[in-house]
Amino acid sequence: MSAKEKAQKKRERSAAMMVWIAGRSSRNKTLVDKICRKMVNRATHVDPKDDFLRDPLIDNDEGFDPDELDRYQRGEDV
Amino acid sequence: MPAAAPFDPEAIQNAVYTERPLKPGVTTKRTICQSCDIACSVVTEIKKGRVVKVRSSDNPIFRDNICMKAIIAPKGFAHPNRILHPLKRVGERGSGEWEQVSWDDAFADIGERLKTIIKEHGPEAWSVSTSQWNTATDHGIGRRIMNHIGSPNWTSGVALCAGNTAAINRMTYGWFPFGDFNNTECIVLMGHNPRRHSWTPMYNWIRQAQARGAKLIVTDPRKSSSAERADIWLPLKVGSDAAMMFGWLKVIIDEELYDKDFVENWTTGFEELKSRVDEYPLERVAKLTGCDPEMIAKAARMYATSGPAVIPWTPITDMQRNSTSAIRLQSILRAITGNVDVPGGELLQGFNPDIVNESTIEMHEVLSDAQKAKQLGSDKHPAFTYRAQERFREPTKRVWGQEYANLVMGCYMTPPSSLFNAMAGKGPYPVKAFFFLGNNPVMSYANMPLIIEAMMNQDLIVAHEQFMTPSAQLADYILPADSWLERPWLMDTFGWTSMVRPSEKSMEPPGEARTTFEFWKHLAGALDRPELVPWETLESFYDYRLEPTGKTWDEFVASTDVHFAKAEYRKYRKTGFATPSGKVELKSSILGDLGFDPLPYFREDPPVDPNYPLKLFTGVREDGFFQTGGRHIPEMRKRHPEPLVFVSPGTAKLYDLKEDEWVEVENELGSISIKVAIKEAMPNGLIRIPHGWWKPEMKQGAGHLSGALKYADAQLCRDDEDYLDREQGIPHLKGVPCRINKTERTAK
Repeated sequence: MSAKEKAQKKRERSAAMMVWIAGRSSRNKTLVDKICRKMVNRATHVDPKDDFLRDPLIDNDEGFDPDELDRYQRGEDV
Repeated sequence: MPAAAPFDPEAIQNAVYTERPLKPGVTTKRTICQSCDIACSVVTEIKKGRVVKVRSSDNPIFRDNICMKAIIAPKGFAHPNRILHPLKRVGERGSGEWEQVSWDDAFADIGERLKTIIKEHGPEAWSVSTSQWNTATDHGIGRRIMNHIGSPNWTSGVALCAGNTAAINRMTYGWFPFGDFNNTECIVLMGHNPRRHSWTPMYNWIRQAQARGAKLIVTDPRKSSSAERADIWLPLKVGSDAAMMFGWLKVIIDEELYDKDFVENWTTGFEELKSRVDEYPLERVAKLTGCDPEMIAKAARMYATSGPAVIPWTPITDMQRNSTSAIRLQSILRAITGNVDVPGGELLQGFNPDIVNESTIEMHEVLSDAQKAKQLGSDKHPAFTYRAQERFREPTKRVWGQEYANLVMGCYMTPPSSLFNAMAGKGPYPVKAFFFLGNNPVMSYANMPLIIEAMMNQDLIVAHEQFMTPSAQLADYILPADSWLERPWLMDTFGWTSMVRPSEKSMEPPGEARTTFEFWKHLAGALDRPELVPWETLESFYDYRLEPTGKTWDEFVASTDVHFAKAEYRKYRKTGFATPSGKVELKSSILGDLGFDPLPYFREDPPVDPNYPLKLFTGVREDGFFQTGGRHIPEMRKRHPEPLVFVSPGTAKLYDLKEDEWVEVENELGSISIKVAIKEAMPNGLIRIPHGWWKPEMKQGAGHLSGALKYADAQLCRDDEDYLDREQGIPHLKGVPCRINKTERTAK
C-alpha cells in the first residue's frame, strides 16, 4: 500500500468516525452519546463575534403571544 | 477531529440538555423548517395549541441553523388572508369570483373533468408543476399517480435549481454528490453567496471550515459578502462560469495538478477533454471572463492543491445558456482532482437503505415507453427527460440497486418552456389540465406572458396553495394547503444525501387546510384508482417507508434526530460508477448518443444589441422571502418594502439614476417597474433584479395578478433558443440584455 493510499485510508476512518460520533451525539441518550455530544458541541462552536452577518432579529427573538396570533388570524390587528 | 472534551462521566450522564429553559405552558417539537428549501432542523415552541416561536435545534450538528423566515413563520401562517377552505371558480377564469366548496365536492368534479380531458386528449394532456421541496409530503405520490395514469408531463422549479444539476451530474459520474464541508480544506463558491438568512447551514459550514483554516474561493461578478471573506475573489463577467472552469482545467492539466491514478484508472475521454481544454488558453479565458490570468491560475492551483476540496452545488450555473457544460465542468474538476467520494470532497452517498425512497414510490417503471416518448421537450432538449435519463437504468441498478433514481426530483422532468408552449396550443399535442402545488408557476419560470397565455388556454386548473397567489388567481379550484408547522415530515434529501430526519407536527392546521399527501389521496380516489395511495394516513405511509428500520413513525420520531447511513468512501472501487462505461465520463457517452457535443463547450453571448446595452441577472433571493412567497408578512415587507434593482455607482452615473428612484427595466420580452438601489458591490453594466415580486395587497385577477404584471422578473426572462441551454432547455438568467428607462422618459 502506497503512502498516499495509507493517508487516504486514515482520512476515511477519521471521517467515518466523525459521522458515527454525530449519530451518537444526535441520539443523546447514553453516556457515550452524551460524550459525543460534548465533542460535537466543541467542534462546531464558532465564536458569535465571527458571525459577520449577525442579526438582532435572531439574537433577540422572543417569539409570539398565542392570543396575539389568534387576534391576528381573525384580522383584528390588521 | 475535535479536541478532547473535559470528561466527567457523572456530570455528562446527568446533564439535562434543555439549553434554553422553557416558559410555563410551553411544549416543544423537533421540526424541520420548510420556509425555504434548505430544510434546517429547528425547534418549535407551542403554547395554547399554537406555535409561538421557532428557534434553532439543540443538536450541535445543526447549530445556529435559523433565519428570519423561520422566526416569522408562526405569524406568516396565521395571516388573515390565508386560504382555509376549498374554493371553486364561479366567474370567468381570473375574474376573482369564488365559492366555498367541500374537499369531497371539489374532487368529485375535478376527477370527472380530468377523466374527460384524458379521454379526449390522452393522459399526456394532464401536467403538474410542483416540488417536494415546497410541499414536503408529496413524497413522489403525485408522480406515482401520473405514471399510472400515463402522463410524463411533470415539471418543477427544480428544472432550473438543483434538480437539473442532479440530472447533469449523472452524466459524469452517475450520481449527484454533496460536499463534505466538515472535512474540506477548500471551498469554491461559483456565484453563490450563502448568508445568515439564506442557505444558512452553508453559511455556518463555511464559517466553521474557515475557522479551522480552509480556503475560500469565490467567483462572482459582485463583491458579495462571501467574496469579501474569500482568499481569492474572481470578479468574472456574468454568465462566463464555464469559460472560467476551462481556464482552471487548462492550468490543472498543463501543470499536472490532477490525480493521475484516478484519471488513468477511473475516467474515460481524458485525451479528448485535454484537446478541448487546449482551445482555452488563459489569455482567451481572461478575455471571456474579464479576469486577470494570473489570478485565474492562482485560484486553479489553490483548488487543486489545498487538499480535499468542494465545489458545492450552485444555482448560478443552473440558470445559464451554458448550464449543461458548466455543471459538467464542475463535475470534471471534482473528478480529475481526485475529490469524488473522498472525505472533504464530494460524496456520492446513494439512497439510505433503511427507508423506502421516493424514487421507488414514484414507480417510473409503470409508465410505458410510448408515453415516456411523448414527454414534451424531449426531442430538442432531452438532458433531464426520460429520453436521456432512461439510459441510466442499467448502470444505476448495478451501482445503487434500483433502476430509477429521481435525484432531487430532477431526472425525469419536462422542460418548462416546452410544457407551456404545448399548454398554449403551440406544441405537438394539446395539454388541457394543469395542476400546481406549492408552486406559483406564472412567476417561477421564464417567459411569463407565455405562461399566462398557457393557463388561459386550459380546461382545468387546480392549485394547492396557502395564499391567493397570482397563479392561484387563474385556477378553477384552490385547495387549502397546510404549512410545515402543521404536518409531520420524513426528510430524505431526495436522494442527494443519505441522511434521514423526522419532523414532528407542531400544531393542527387551520380550517380545512390539508397536506399534499391528502390532496393526492383525494385525487387517486376521484380517478377511481384509490389503490394507488393505499395508506390511510400520512403517518401510516411513514410507517411503510420506515419498515426497513423496524420502527414505526412514532418510534422513529421518539428515538431519532437524524439517521445516517453507514459512512463509506470510494465505493466505486467495488461497483464502478453508475454511468454506461462504469467510469467517470469526462466525455459523456449519453450526450454524444443524443447528438450533442459529448465534451463541455462555451457558447458566447449573442452580439450586443445597442438598444439593450445593460445586462441583468435574476433568480436572486432576498433574505425575507423565499422565491415568490412571503410578501404578505408585514415584518418581512418592512425589510423589503419594494423591489430594488441594484446598480453600480458607475452605471447610476451613466444613466442619471438616483437612489430610491422608480425606473422601468425593459428588454425585448417585457418590462417591469422597480426602485433603484446603488450598490458599491455591483460591477458596471450589470444590474440585479430580485426574483418573484408581487404585492398581495394589490388588485387580484386577470390583467392585474396582484402586481405581478408590474413587478415580476419572469417578464424579463427570455426563453428563445439563444437564451436556452441546448441540452436542457432551461433559460439563461445570468446576463440578459436590457435597458433602464427613466419613468418620466417612458411616460413621454
